[in-house]
Amino acid sequence: MHEVSVAESLLKTVVEQAAAHNCTRIEKIILRIGRASGVVSEALVFAFDALKPGTMAENAVIEVMDVPVAGKCETCGSDFSVEEKYVLACPSCGSPSFVITSGRELELSELEVY
Amino acid sequence: MKLKVASKILDANDRIANENTKMLKDRGIFSINLMSSPGAGKTTLLEKTISSLSSSVGIAVIEGDVAGSDDAERIDRLNIPVVQINTGGGCHLDASMVQEALNDLPLQKVKLLFIENVGNLVCPAEFNLGEDIKVMLLSIAEGHDKPLKYPLMFQTSSALVINKIDLAPYVNADIEKIKRDALSLNPSIKIFEVSCQTGQGLDKWTDWLLTHCS
Repeated sequence: MHEVSVAESLLKTVVEQAAAHNCTRIEKIILRIGRASGVVSEALVFAFDALKPGTMAENAVIEVMDVPVAGKCETCGSDFSVEEKYVLACPSCGSPSFVITSGRELELSELEVY
Repeated sequence: MKLKVASKILDANDRIANENTKMLKDRGIFSINLMSSPGAGKTTLLEKTISSLSSSVGIAVIEGDVAGSDDAERIDRLNIPVVQINTGGGCHLDASMVQEALNDLPLQKVKLLFIENVGNLVCPAEFNLGEDIKVMLLSIAEGHDKPLKYPLMFQTSSALVINKIDLAPYVNADIEKIKRDALSLNPSIKIFEVSCQTGQGLDKWTDWLLTHCS
């Protein structure tokens, strides 16, 4: 729902990064987006494509690495990864005591700039 | 050339949020980002909270809405410093909007700041404003299915205020299920059951707030 604001922030960040390395063109942007991040990748790419004309990122292509939700159970100690967006209990022992270790990422991982 | 960046996409927002945090910490102000759907009773909860606490602690309010200044006018009537932000269509507040509002607020005597977010159960949870804690308000009339439908809101909140419990006989909502599901999503969430209409349960909420204000 707020992918346009996320795309604006992303555009600002990538332009700053490219400028800091004395580059003028951004060709590729690799993102890591967790399934529980609340961001829909397709909507983010759509919003970014609408914002990029006239900027250094005009020809940039976004590649999204999908990060599943994973956690560690504090009762049985098992590390788990699930298909769902959230976890209510440890999939191994059913305990409600666990910590989520990944799945909320909204990260810029890599840039290809010239 | 390939650049390994490994930064957060919302870095620009987070940087400003950190400035807000520092500004508030330097002044010893405890800040709460209050989130809910439209109509859950955020402004009414603030009115009741202010009436109960304003004699013992300095309070200020930032109101976030898509349009209009009705909420700020309601707070203004209680003689509390308030700034209205209109997002002009935006579905949430971000850190830069809050920073501007903070610059407009007289904060000298303030120890407790409420930031009332735009009514929405999706986006507000994503944007850090620099607040100390997020508090989620849910009215039982919205139904008991909300925690599992909007998990991020409940996962990121330190407290859940369940409002309009006086409507329990009239709406088909299972309060125990709301509490169970919220605790499953966030075992450390503190839960309050209140009615802003009758005043039931509000003392526990305001007592808890006071423990955060030095």
